[in-house]
Amino acid sequence: MSEHRSQYLIVGGSAAGMAAAHAVREQDPAGSVTVLSAESDPPYFRPLIPFLISGKKDAAQMALSGAGPYKGEDIVVETDAFVSGVDPASRAVTLEDGRRFGYEKILFATGSRPYVPPEIEGTETDGVFALRTLADARKMAARVEKTEHAVLLGGGLLNLKAAFALLERGLKVTLVVFSPEVLSQLMEPEDARLIRQALDRAGLSIKTGAAATAVRAGKDGVRAVALDDGSELACQMVCIGKGVRPNVEFLEGSGIVIDGGIVADRHTACNLSGAFAAGDVAVTYEPVSGEPMMTALWTNAVEMGRCAGLNMAGRKTAYTGTFGILNATQVAEEPFVSMGVVHAGDGKYEVHRHETDTAFRKLVFNPAGDRLVGAVFVGDISNAGLYRYVIREKMPVDRFKRQLIDHSLHYGHLLR
Amino acid sequence: MGTSDKILGKSIDPAVHQMLERAEKLNMETAWDRYEKMLPQCGFGELGVCCRNCNMGPCRISPFDDQGPKKGICGATADIIVARNLIRMIAGGAAAHSDHGRDLAHTLLLTAEGKSGGYEIKDEAKLAALAAEYGIDTDGRTKEEIALDLARAVYAEFGKQEGPIRFTRRAPEKRVAQWQKMGIDPRGIDREIVEIMHRTHIGVDNDPVNLILQGLKASIADGWGGSTIATEISDVLFGTPSPVRSEANLGVLKKDHVNIVAHGHEPVLSEMILAAAADPALVAKAEAAGAKGINVVGMCCTGNEIIMRHGIPIAGNFLQQELAVMTGAVEAMIVDVQCIMPALGDLCSCFHTRFISTSPKAKFPGAVHMEFHEEKALETAKEIVGAAVENYGNRVAEKVFIPGEKTECMVGFSTEAIVKALGGTLDPLLDAVKSGAVRGIAGVVGCNNPKIKHDHGHVALVRELIENNVLVVTTGCNAIACAKAGLMLPEAAEEAGDGLAGVCRTLGVPPVLHMGSCVDISRILTTCAAVANALGVDISDLPVAGAAPEWMSEKAVSIGAYVVSSGIFTVLGTVPQVLGSPLVTEVLTRTANDVVGAAFAVETDPVKGADLMIAHIDKKRAALGI
Amino acid sequence: MSEPKEIFVRTDRCVGCLSCTIACAVEHSASKTLFGAVGETPAPKSRVYVEWVESDKKVPIVCRHCEDAPCMYACISGAISRNKDGVVITDTDKCIGCWTCVMVCPYGVIGRHLETHKAYRCDRCPDRDVPACVGACPTGALIYKTVPAYSASVRRHASREFVKAEGG
Repeated sequence: MSEHRSQYLIVGGSAAGMAAAHAVREQDPAGSVTVLSAESDPPYFRPLIPFLISGKKDAAQMALSGAGPYKGEDIVVETDAFVSGVDPASRAVTLEDGRRFGYEKILFATGSRPYVPPEIEGTETDGVFALRTLADARKMAARVEKTEHAVLLGGGLLNLKAAFALLERGLKVTLVVFSPEVLSQLMEPEDARLIRQALDRAGLSIKTGAAATAVRAGKDGVRAVALDDGSELACQMVCIGKGVRPNVEFLEGSGIVIDGGIVADRHTACNLSGAFAAGDVAVTYEPVSGEPMMTALWTNAVEMGRCAGLNMAGRKTAYTGTFGILNATQVAEEPFVSMGVVHAGDGKYEVHRHETDTAFRKLVFNPAGDRLVGAVFVGDISNAGLYRYVIREKMPVDRFKRQLIDHSLHYGHLLR
Repeated sequence: MGTSDKILGKSIDPAVHQMLERAEKLNMETAWDRYEKMLPQCGFGELGVCCRNCNMGPCRISPFDDQGPKKGICGATADIIVARNLIRMIAGGAAAHSDHGRDLAHTLLLTAEGKSGGYEIKDEAKLAALAAEYGIDTDGRTKEEIALDLARAVYAEFGKQEGPIRFTRRAPEKRVAQWQKMGIDPRGIDREIVEIMHRTHIGVDNDPVNLILQGLKASIADGWGGSTIATEISDVLFGTPSPVRSEANLGVLKKDHVNIVAHGHEPVLSEMILAAAADPALVAKAEAAGAKGINVVGMCCTGNEIIMRHGIPIAGNFLQQELAVMTGAVEAMIVDVQCIMPALGDLCSCFHTRFISTSPKAKFPGAVHMEFHEEKALETAKEIVGAAVENYGNRVAEKVFIPGEKTECMVGFSTEAIVKALGGTLDPLLDAVKSGAVRGIAGVVGCNNPKIKHDHGHVALVRELIENNVLVVTTGCNAIACAKAGLMLPEAAEEAGDGLAGVCRTLGVPPVLHMGSCVDISRILTTCAAVANALGVDISDLPVAGAAPEWMSEKAVSIGAYVVSSGIFTVLGTVPQVLGSPLVTEVLTRTANDVVGAAFAVETDPVKGADLMIAHIDKKRAALGI
Repeated sequence: MSEPKEIFVRTDRCVGCLSCTIACAVEHSASKTLFGAVGETPAPKSRVYVEWVESDKKVPIVCRHCEDAPCMYACISGAISRNKDGVVITDTDKCIGCWTCVMVCPYGVIGRHLETHKAYRCDRCPDRDVPACVGACPTGALIYKTVPAYSASVRRHASREFVKAEGG
């Protein structure tokens, strides 16, 4: 079988992979760059897929190549190209369909897949989805015709977005959340009050402190969800948003060190020569504590991917680390931003909360009170970027601590 | 959670801290919030180099040598623009004080004619004394006859074209001679203000010094004219103040009473509100509504008027007016003129509080207008108080939050009261000054301003003075600040230096003497004139100094101008909008010494400001040989 | 691409008159005149900000159009890109108002348009030779020059100061 050979081979065609490809092309205008994507769709902006369900955008509007900074030339993207094995000795990968691709430098950016809790029975039933790809979104959009009531398992951001997309299509939607409040990964329950009010106003039903035990099937696919309190919710669509797991199975036998995800150093390199890892599949580190962590966020994946691309092309660039929590979005007219350490309930941090009827903010300082380590803003998100900067750079805050707490910080304060 | 540093940094008054926390919780904005939103303030305005006097403009002069326009379109330089803007501020302030005086004169006229609705002539001795000043015959005449002549004479001071204004002649001869020499002996109260407006029109007076001189002239017509008239006629109608005890701060509002706040300036209104609130029918109505009675409290200068004469408690000074409404316990905020924030309209609508305007000259958004005219004074006042009593039932208990702070104070030190306390003559005071027990006398006055930590400017400066044996006389919002800080109790002598403390203990007076409202700074002028005459010197030779540590209003600019024109060195605690002209700044801070024997200094640190005053006082003592 | 011009800020020259903010809002209004702009709905928005630092420093802040713009990479809908003139632009059609750009901008210059739920920021006034804010500044606090030209002017000033200090 003939082998394709490129200087730069990138496994995975989403955020990290495409960011890396473009970074390589910026540095190296001539080297051959090939991206292998397991999906059938050409690269797209994954966070936009709920809009396909609501009908607000079509797939073409979500295309990545040619949009934003992704305007590099001569980047070959192969779709339906699922890598099943890696042979580091001969510097080549094998695809499921038998093709082989050789490389000088390789980046693993295979991302993650949705986690479907095995303890829930019946998840293979028709009408049960885990929203991850454009293909998933298409199927969900099609199922909307047959659905009056959709039950979403999990109170995370992705499920909230999917929930709103479905609400916009006129469905009744119920969120079943195990934690005491929605967005438990991004903030503490008291922080979410304004958001929760906005969700309630928008007509979303929310059941907290509840878990699904099984999906009940009827002749047309799913007909109900059984909960742990014994009750059942009649529905025609189920969407599971219970987190993701990194796609590392294909690396078995390759010799790459894996610890949950692919272990990468400060320059995104993994233990094999010429091999790098970035995005959801990589184990990176949290900048404030230095602890290893994995992330499943578009912004982090792009940053890591760019860094990997620069390193692959020979420009040594250290990765500044990723916040585990770095989210910004608008939920039912309520914008919010959550970053850094936001779960501060155990009392060792210095926490400042300020709440009015229209806005909420929480600032988390380290125990010594001289560094900002986390922030949540709801309603008024102005200058949030400065807060990220202050957290990430571990800036001593004594000069402007009061302005941080009062939310009157602006760039002028950082100038002196 | 303790009070945030941000709130603690805004005021020294614990009542204010509590109310600002409450404001935050209720998501209500205050003047402090609006000040913050205004930052950065425009530098052209801060420097005084913005001119909008004609439609060729607006013009602004660049403060940078190498960039931007250096002259307005008509050719006016920064010096001219700053001078014009400054004296227009004096015009505004002088007009306010003088209109206040005019209203009092008018009330006296109506009362003498028997046409006023409830006013009386309470101080016949003062009536006679003033009549004597005007050469009005008092022998065998009724008080109404005398009052009619006096009212007409005083009323005439406003519209006259040629001077002198009678009360200016209270000043020592040397002082009057200096005014005449500099061409600033005023001709008529209104005339000098009109001339300011004329001279500052495009293409009239373009000499900064000439402009400033006219400003001083108009200010003298205010201080020794309009303001003195206001003070003296108020004394005639409502009584000359004598020492009385009372309380100050928001804690004077009572949870179980109908609370009425009298805010603004003219006792013509507040005295009638007091009289109406004592009406048995209205008290009964209040009790029927479940209240224990009607509690009238004052705010700002009208509060000073009624505390001086009747010991009516005062709820706070200028920056506290919104906070009073936020207690949720005020049935009516009744206002007339000056220093009333238009923000009160929106604020009152968040509570049951009725915001009642009374003057045809002063209407506000969100206010109910119950127009007050002297002819039907008591009748209208009863209607207004009645509206307040009716409102008691609308109070929302959950919204009521009255801070506990209130401080006892001893007030009422008119010049006459001080002389009486001294035993009938000024001699004991003069002896104390000569011996050095009392190093000197300082008049500390003026408003609040969010640019200065609320009350800190006032209280820190006054404390530094009394610790250094300087007796302090005070009016306006400074007086209220000192009262709240406990400096107006005889016991406050503990905080004074030994010399001053001794004098206070002997006389049984506090080291800080409340002389009244802002127009009552005329009392300070009269007292200084009396002391200067007794010693045979000019006011500019006296070991005295003035300060306005937190000033903001145009009235304060006029006051500063007339105090300096009277020969008293004055320290300003907030920076006036003149620094865009080094010439004007030089004139105000140095050249003025050659013109009127005194000048201004600007010092935002109150302790340093006090030290400047003490140094000045010591210099004057040395020159006098004491 | 020829050297683009940047907007440099001299904070020692800013008096806080806010003329730049008015000019910017007017330039981004429908009527493009002040008198027309004040009547418009939604109200035109300024993309330049003047902030205040205790006790008396006034600091104009505007989008730096970063070469390696964090906002461009953070945008989850690909709405932000850098054009051939070096200006970073937000495509309002693609913008979904997720505010990730606001979250990563280290200058705080991306605004949230409350009525349209889109992000907005300085576009360097493509219809003008000189950006509106620069043209409006009466004290020379905003300077529109290429990096080499600006650096050269700073060097000229610095070298004069050197010579003065050395007694020349």
